[in-house]
Parts: sequence; C-alpha cells; structure tokens
Amino acid sequence: MFPNELARQQRAKVRLAIGFMIAGIVVVGVLAFVQEFPTPLWLWGLFAVAFVFFSWRSVEVNDKLFASPTVMILMTAAVVFGPASAVLGCVAMEAIGPLQPEDIRERRWFQPAVNFGQMVVSSLISVSVLTWALWGPDFANTVPPMWRVALASALAAVVHGVVNLRFVMLIVGRVYGQREMHPWSHMVQLLIPYLGMGFLGGLLGATYLLIGPAALPLIGIVFFTGYMAFESYARLREAQLSTLAGFIKALEAKDLYTRGHTERVAYFSNMIGEEMGFNGTQLETLRWAALIHDVGKLAVPREVIRKKARLTEEEYEEMQAHVRHVEDLLNEVEFLRPMVEIASNHHAHYDGNGYHGSTGSNGVVPSLEARILAVADSFDAMTSTRSYRVALTQEYAFAELRRHEGSQFDPDVVEAFVIVLTDSGERYGSPVEITEEEARRRAEQGMGGVHSLDDKSPRSSEYGSDAAHG
Amino acid sequence: MAEDRPRLPTVIALLTLLAGSVVFMSVGVRLTSGEPGAWLTEVAVWTVAMTAVMLMTVPAPSGTRLSLGIGAVVAGSILIEDPMVLAASVSISLAASWLIQRTANIGFVRTNGDLLADSLALAVYVMLYLAAFDAVDAVYDPGHGWVVVAVTSAAGLGWFIIRALVAALVGLERTDLAGRYLWLLALEDWAVVVSVFAAGTLFGLTWPVMGLWSLAVAILPYAFSHLAFERYHSTRVTYGQTIRALAQIPEVAELAPRGHATRTADLAVAVAQELGLHPADVVELEYAALMHDVGRITLNEPAILKAGFTNEDIARWGAQIIAEAPHLKYVSSLVEQQHRPYRSPGIEIDPDVPMSSKIIKVASAYDQGQTEFGLSPVEALETIHQGSAYEFDPTVAASLRRVLVFRGEIPY
Repeated sequence: MFPNELARQQRAKVRLAIGFMIAGIVVVGVLAFVQEFPTPLWLWGLFAVAFVFFSWRSVEVNDKLFASPTVMILMTAAVVFGPASAVLGCVAMEAIGPLQPEDIRERRWFQPAVNFGQMVVSSLISVSVLTWALWGPDFANTVPPMWRVALASALAAVVHGVVNLRFVMLIVGRVYGQREMHPWSHMVQLLIPYLGMGFLGGLLGATYLLIGPAALPLIGIVFFTGYMAFESYARLREAQLSTLAGFIKALEAKDLYTRGHTERVAYFSNMIGEEMGFNGTQLETLRWAALIHDVGKLAVPREVIRKKARLTEEEYEEMQAHVRHVEDLLNEVEFLRPMVEIASNHHAHYDGNGYHGSTGSNGVVPSLEARILAVADSFDAMTSTRSYRVALTQEYAFAELRRHEGSQFDPDVVEAFVIVLTDSGERYGSPVEITEEEARRRAEQGMGGVHSLDDKSPRSSEYGSDAAHG
Repeated sequence: MAEDRPRLPTVIALLTLLAGSVVFMSVGVRLTSGEPGAWLTEVAVWTVAMTAVMLMTVPAPSGTRLSLGIGAVVAGSILIEDPMVLAASVSISLAASWLIQRTANIGFVRTNGDLLADSLALAVYVMLYLAAFDAVDAVYDPGHGWVVVAVTSAAGLGWFIIRALVAALVGLERTDLAGRYLWLLALEDWAVVVSVFAAGTLFGLTWPVMGLWSLAVAILPYAFSHLAFERYHSTRVTYGQTIRALAQIPEVAELAPRGHATRTADLAVAVAQELGLHPADVVELEYAALMHDVGRITLNEPAILKAGFTNEDIARWGAQIIAEAPHLKYVSSLVEQQHRPYRSPGIEIDPDVPMSSKIIKVASAYDQGQTEFGLSPVEALETIHQGSAYEFDPTVAASLRRVLVFRGEIPY
C-alpha cells in the first residue's frame, strides 16, 4: 500500500463521513417539524431497545438468512406507530443503531458517522414508501386489510435493502476503488431475506394493532428463544472448530518441524479462498479441510518419520494405512466428510497425476478446494525449515509454484495466492537468498542430516508437496 | 444423527395432513358458527388439527423430541368455548397421534412412558387452564389479551412441572437412571417449551380477528426458532462425534487398546446417570471419558517410550492436549484428575477429586480388567472392590455394580 494511496483513502473517508452526517442531521431535523413523535413513549423505547439489541449483536451464522432481523423490527414499529409518526419514530431508532459500543470504545469514527447518515436516509425512504403504500395519500389512521399490510411492508423492506446496498457500494467504491468490491456483491442475496423479514414484520405490527400490547411479550419470547438457540448454535460451532484446531495444534507441537504448519496452511487457504470469491460456507469447508489435512500423520510412528534412509515399500504402505485409518475415523462424522475428501486429495496434481489419497482416483482433476490446499501446503513446506533443509525464500517458493503450474498446481490458484500474499505485505521464508542445494547442505551440517518422511517416498518425483516429493 | 431426522415422504405427508386440517378447520368453523348442536363437527375439526400438530416434533436440549401438540392444545384452550369439546378433542387426538406413530413407525416414535407423561401433563394443563379462566372470568373481560396470556402462562408452568415430575417418576421404575437426573434433564427443555407455548397463544389470540393470516403470524416466527433448535441439536451431535473421532487417534496409532475410549465413555455415562449427576456435567464427563487416554499419542515419540512413563504422565499429557481447546478447559481438568486416588491414609476423602474423574477412573479400570487382563465381568468388578481402599470410590463401584446388574452382565 503506497502512502499517497492511504492519504487519498483518508481524504475520501473524511468527505464521505461529513456528507453522510450532514444528510442524516438534516433529515432528522426536518422530520422533527413535519411529524409527531410516537406515543406512548415506552412503546417507542421498547422497539428501540429491540432494534438496537439486534443491530449490535447480530449472530454470526453462515447463511445470510438471519443476518439482520432489524428490518423486521423496523417494519413492525412503522405499522404500530401509524401514519402520523411512523417515519420519525423509525428514523430515530435507526439513528441510534450505528453507535456501536465497540466503535466508541476504540474511537473509530468513520463507520458510525457514515452508518448514521446511511441508515437515516434508507429508513426515511423505506418508511415513506410504507406510509404511502399502506395508508394511501389521504393518511387515514385505520387498520388496513392484512394483505395490504403484508405487501406494503415487504415492499418497504426490499426498498430499504436496495437503498442500503447502493450506499454501501458507493462508499466502498469511493474509498477502496473497484478491486475490493466483490464480497459486497453477495449482498444482492440479502434482498430475499429482506422480503421475508418485511412481510413478517408488517403482519406482526398488524397483530399489535388488533390484539393490543399483550401480543408483544408473545412475539418477543418466540424471537428471543430463537435468538438464544441460534447464538448457542453459533457458539457450539465455534467450539467444534476450536476443539479440532487446538487438538491438532497440541499434537503437532510435539514435532519441532511441523509446529504451526497446520495453522499457517489454514491461514493461506483462507486467504486464497477469499481472493477467489468463496462464500461463507465454502470458506468454512476449506478452513476445516486445511485443519485436518495432516491429521493422518499423527498416527504414524515417529521412528518412521525420522528414519534416515528412504522408506521401504512396506514401510510406506504402513504409513499410508495409518493415514487411511484416521481418515476413516473422521469420515464417520458426517459433517466432516466433504472436508476429509478435500484433505485426502491435496497431494493430487492439477493434471490428474500424483497421489490421490484414499478416496480419489488417478487421472481425475482434484476439486478447487483440494487445489488451493495443495498450493498452501507446498508454499508452507518450502518457506519453513524442515529436517532435511532450512527454509527457502518467498521468491524462490513463488518461482517453484509457477514452474509447476499447469502440471502440479492450478495456475489460477497460484496467481491468486501470489497476488493476495504480495498485497498483504506479509513475508514468509528465509530473509536471505538461498538456493535449494545450499539449504539442504546447511541442514545436513546443522542437524546431522536427519531426513524427513517427505523425502523418502519410493515413488515420487515432484516438488514441494508434503507427502511425496524428493 | 441421520436416522432421527424425518425423511422427505414423512415431511410431505405431515404437511399435507396439516394443510388438509387447516382447510377442514376453516370450513368447520364456518359450518358450526351459529348452529347450537354442531359440537360434533367442532370436535372432529379440532381432533384432526391437533393430531396433525402432535405428530410434529422439535429436538429439545434433553435429547428427546418434544411434540408440538402442546402448542395446538394451548391454541385450542383459548379458541374452544365448550370445555367438553376441548377435553374430547385433546384426548382423542392424543390417542390418535400415538396410534399413528406406532403403526406408521414415523422416525420419532414415543414410548409408553412418554405417552403417560404427555397425557398426564396435558390433562393437568387443560384443567388448570379452565380453573384459572373461571377464576378470572368474573373479574376481567375474558377476551382481553393480557388475561389470556396470564392464564396460559400459569397453566403452562403447571404443565411443565408435571411433565418433569412424570419423567422423574418413570425413572424410579428403572434402576439404571436416577430420578434426579431425569427431572433435571426435563427442566433443560424450558426454552423450547416457552417458544411452543408462545406460538400457540399467539395463534389462539389472532385466529378470531385475522383468520388464516394468523397462521403466518404464529407459525413464521416459530419457524425461525424451530430451525435454530434443529441446528443446535445437529451441531451438538456432530460435536460429540468429532470428539469421539479425535479420541480414537491414539487407538488407530496402536498406542492404546482398540475401543477402550468408547467403552469407558459409555460405562461412565451410565454410572453418572445412575448416580443422578447434573445433565450438563454428564455431557462433559462423556467428553472427558472419551479422551482420558489421549495423552498416549505422546508415546509416538520413541524417546519417551524408552524413558518410561506413569499413568499420571498420561493423564497430564492428555490434559495438556485438551486444554489447547478453549472450550474444553473443564474437561481437561477432569482428565488430569482422573488418575488420582479418591482418598489416602489419614485423609478420609480427597475433596479436590471431582465425582466425574472418580467415575472415569472406575469405568476405565473395569474395562481394562476385562479387555487387557482377560477377566470376566465378575472378576473385573472384584478388582474394583478390592481397590476401594484408596483407588476406587465405593459409591461409584456400587453404582457400577447396579448398572452391570441392570445390563445383565453380572447376576443379581
């Protein structure tokens, strides 16, 4: 990142923040004169608390379906407040939402300032659409028929989503330029949940109008228990991931040369996946696969791994059998099955050659996930010190990846990795230039010529890949 | 688990049944309105609707699947004015849903014990609801929303307690499960229960004013919660399976006897349930028992094998490995304590050794006696009894004996 690029971003941020702040304040100011504040005040407070709660604590769930129940609360509130105060009441709720305690604690100003203006303007437009569609131009204060409530609030929610999306695209485009855009393009998928949320929100508002305040605790309870269950679900999923990760970390810590290998491979794979436009579920699968890609080796006796000479055919078979046993074990967990398949395929080559693990068959092009894992694994193998050679440089590793692209590695994956790692400014491997022969010689001098498992496969002739090169 | 998830044809059948009953119900309500003697139609309509809903279940934290029928009964109590019609519909649909589950063998068959608990709890609910309603009827307008909410909550609390009580009473008749364990287990379901109740009440309140739209109002929000409960359940199952798989890595590496971890865990869980431990503790005990020998993976290192090791080392190494996972800190401490004697000379009982660790120690030793030393069940239990001076807690040993008797492994 060049310093003048950073300065340009900073100027763009200040301009946007001021613009959005002014727009937001003007809207709130004008509305305060045009509309009445919702009465009773406690009702507004109740909706505001629910709204703020959900906008501050959205649960991290993979599919975007549950990303934001806030728009539903907004629609319920708008229907309940009625035509004379819907817009002002909702805009006031949205104005509090962006004041995230985290941002304030860490004195981040850009996000809250921009979100304030963005949310105020989106809710102004969306609730105005609702008011127009629901009560008509004459603003009659009656309970409209149910179908009209449902349609109007669904429409308004989608409008809210579209306006929001346009604003986000505008901001990201202004500040970061085009290249950082693609994760947001997934936001289009959000519009379908917006439709459902709006539909339901309007109906719940009508329920309040017909039943009275007794409907509120009932609706609240259903959503709160659902929220709780989703949160414990998300926590449990996290626990599962960290259990597996922690376990593997602890087990490989016993071996000096592979310490941290799994974690780095997972990190690189995640990087490549993001760059190649993977969505949440795909990224998660990839991360899991990276975590378990070497777990089979944990069951291989150390003396086989440390053996100085090349492995005999039987020893090699025995090692593969151990790896296969662990894979069978993990395959019993239905959820892990796709990840095990990727992991066991990560030595397979892009052109269909190479070792295909216990599940794959020769001549078949491995899945994109397995190809990503192969690049991440080989890069880390080259840039870290192994028993048979010290670490090589990052440039050398890149050159090796490029030299074998098309045969061993997928060219697209290699390109994506080189771009994203260079952009990140992170560096791995030896800081000084070193040739491969030199690296091997030094390891032999320094560490008594200990060989690695990776070096001793009786059937290999390719580079970098972890189980079978030499 | 895959097998307790209803298959697609079942789901389609249930949805068709539900849709049919809704149509039937709306037609029926239209037919009966204004006609004084049409209570038979009303009973028929409600029976079909309640039966359909009773056949649907949600996974509850206690591990059972809770029937959604209580939600339909809640709505029915609000909507049906004649107590006789209500009682008839509830009892007929309960019997019908039970029969359908038995004959059609739909994935989640309820046992006789569940049927007993369900019927008793439902009867209590209906009676409490009617009594509470009579009490407030004279003072307040019965159609008032808050009155309905209050009466439903009071009756619902009664239902919940009766359900847990019956579950605990059923446990008294089985010698391998403590009543306390079952009672606490049933209480764990409160969130699911509250959610189903709220949805039922919402339906009961909205049906008279908005007709079919009330289905959307009551069912859609509940559907979110339902999905959340389903996912929580399936993740919990996978989490257990993942730990089970990881625990077997030392066995695959031929560093620990095959199947020892799984057998120890099954036995330890049975003993914990027999002793009436808290259900949340039983879950952690199961994880700890599965992984109690995971430290053996360290023996992969020939140098360590040569230097020699004690059981304490294995426990400590295992605990270190497990502690790497932030969510398993307590499990890690259980594994670390699991080698310790429960008392030593001069100290009557060591207060620092948790019950779960003592259970794992006994279960592991019993399994080891059988599989490693080739002892018969009685002989293996005998070694536990002999070791109860310092090593094995006699409370746990006695419980293990009761579990083995119940399983028919040793004679009574």
